[in-house]
Amino acid sequence: MRRTASRPVEALALVAIAAVVLLGFVSAAAAGQLRQGLDPGAVLPQVLLQPLLSGGLLLVFHIFLRLTGLRSEQVIWPVVSLLFVIGLMMIYRLRGEAGVWQQMTRGFIPGLVIAGVLVARPQLIETIRRLAVPAGIAGLLLPLLTALFGVVDETGARLALKIGPLPSIQTTELIKLALIIFLAWYIEREGRAAEARAHTLLIWMRLPALQYFVPGVLVVTLATLALVPMSDYGAVLILGAIFIAMLYTGFETRLFFTIAAIGLALAALVGVVLAFTWEVPAVIQYRFLAFRDPWSTDMILVNGQPTGITIAEGPGYQIQQAVYAVIAGGITGTGLGFGTPGYIPLAHSDFILAAIIEEMGAATGLALLALFAVLLMRIFRIVFLLPPGQVFERLLLVGIGVHFFTQVFVMAGGTLNLIPMTGVTIPFVSLGGTALLVNLVEIGIALAIVRRMEGYRT
Amino acid sequence: MDWNALLFAFKWIILALIYFVLMLLLTGVHREMTLRVEQPAPPSRALKSRLRVVHPGSDPNLRPGGVITLQADNILGSAPDNDLVFADRFVSRRHARLYWDGAAWWLEDLGSRNGTYVNRQAITPHQPQRLERGAVISLGDMTFELVE
Repeated sequence: MRRTASRPVEALALVAIAAVVLLGFVSAAAAGQLRQGLDPGAVLPQVLLQPLLSGGLLLVFHIFLRLTGLRSEQVIWPVVSLLFVIGLMMIYRLRGEAGVWQQMTRGFIPGLVIAGVLVARPQLIETIRRLAVPAGIAGLLLPLLTALFGVVDETGARLALKIGPLPSIQTTELIKLALIIFLAWYIEREGRAAEARAHTLLIWMRLPALQYFVPGVLVVTLATLALVPMSDYGAVLILGAIFIAMLYTGFETRLFFTIAAIGLALAALVGVVLAFTWEVPAVIQYRFLAFRDPWSTDMILVNGQPTGITIAEGPGYQIQQAVYAVIAGGITGTGLGFGTPGYIPLAHSDFILAAIIEEMGAATGLALLALFAVLLMRIFRIVFLLPPGQVFERLLLVGIGVHFFTQVFVMAGGTLNLIPMTGVTIPFVSLGGTALLVNLVEIGIALAIVRRMEGYRT
Repeated sequence: MDWNALLFAFKWIILALIYFVLMLLLTGVHREMTLRVEQPAPPSRALKSRLRVVHPGSDPNLRPGGVITLQADNILGSAPDNDLVFADRFVSRRHARLYWDGAAWWLEDLGSRNGTYVNRQAITPHQPQRLERGAVISLGDMTFELVE
């Protein structure tokens, strides 16, 4: 029997977080009753079940971490808990109990179980390493399957796959994790060999031996192309960022910049060719126009024909509503249940940040971004502490960290109209079972790596 | 009960709790970072570790009791371009890697044919294993001890 670990910071933080979720649910329910002119006291007993359950499960995972004897890393789990809880309160406010149950049963509970198994059996990382090739193949096949057999969701995009009676799965989330695993395995396997047989080009540039390098590039290119029929350009962007970050980690600086320069040159070439042959999909085109001026009254043209809808009524509408919501919220927000986030399309998933800022204030929005910064810092801290031999683990963690970062960056920027809008979820916060599941598995991987590292050091 | 006042209070309590957790975590991070500065590892001392030959195997260049000086990162094997070249019959061309990571010595078997042993126990290939001072390392027929 291992010795249990004392984790005082985590315990205190989780108690406070449980109080937050309890107060949040009570506030949202009471405000809902008040608006209808009913007595808020009447609904209170049945409101308490969900916050007690979710807060309790967060504490159960904390006790589980104690039992595994994990001594270090008391920050990651409270950060994830607080993000999840803020999102859950907002989901309850917007979608009621059904939304919360959906988030808990499809994402939170299965994710918690898988993360728990990973932390209890850290050697499963080796199994993940062995599954890298099937994961890479799945990463290529899933988007094709989704494009062919997927179900169209409420936004009109074909991103989900439904098998039999199971709830539909957002396959893009799975693809991201599968490609992170595949790339970590590939760069670890071939990275050193590619470096050892690198040629020096011109004066400074170094080119890795092509036979080690081409297959990986091919897989990434195919995966990116496979995402195009799903018209999920946000995922393409995120995959690209993950790929570049992992390359930078895996290769020596000179090699990386040589590869990056060649990649940029190729991208420019492809861009020039596309500019003459390919019409930019209307989705992308109008997203950029809506970014430039969400209130524009220009008509949207499809195949040169006016559709009778202006940009302000089409893609600009959600940005306008998000901006209005952020302004309405002010610094401390209107209070849960007192705002009108119902006007924002997709307020529960892609635009949850706007809804949070409206009802819980810019203060909460900033806290949210700070929490993500802390999470990223902690994940990269593990990367720096890993012993030099563990290249796979290091690459895996970099991929995971960059995955979180890009999703938050894209959504926070899009909500405030600082960058063109593209729909992805905010990790741990947005309503979306598969996304939450995958993100919790990634946290499980990070904690398992920490635990394995501790095991070596005792 | 005045629910409006109560909910107004709740709003502020929730905000306060969120920032309390954030501050708690940030101070925790800060404490940990300053802790690391206060106890720097003494790399120079431990880096003076050497390998003492316990049993020379079939390598004619080694003698029992002899001492081999280590660098921070050593590849052990029979191929001439290794950092430590051994002529023992049962040593693979690229047998093992012995390196200092700033805090400890680590031994990694590089997929050798006859395996690498620490304290008479075979170690998993490609899985770095931490070595304590006085660890007994065996490659092929040779046996070494990690000494200061």
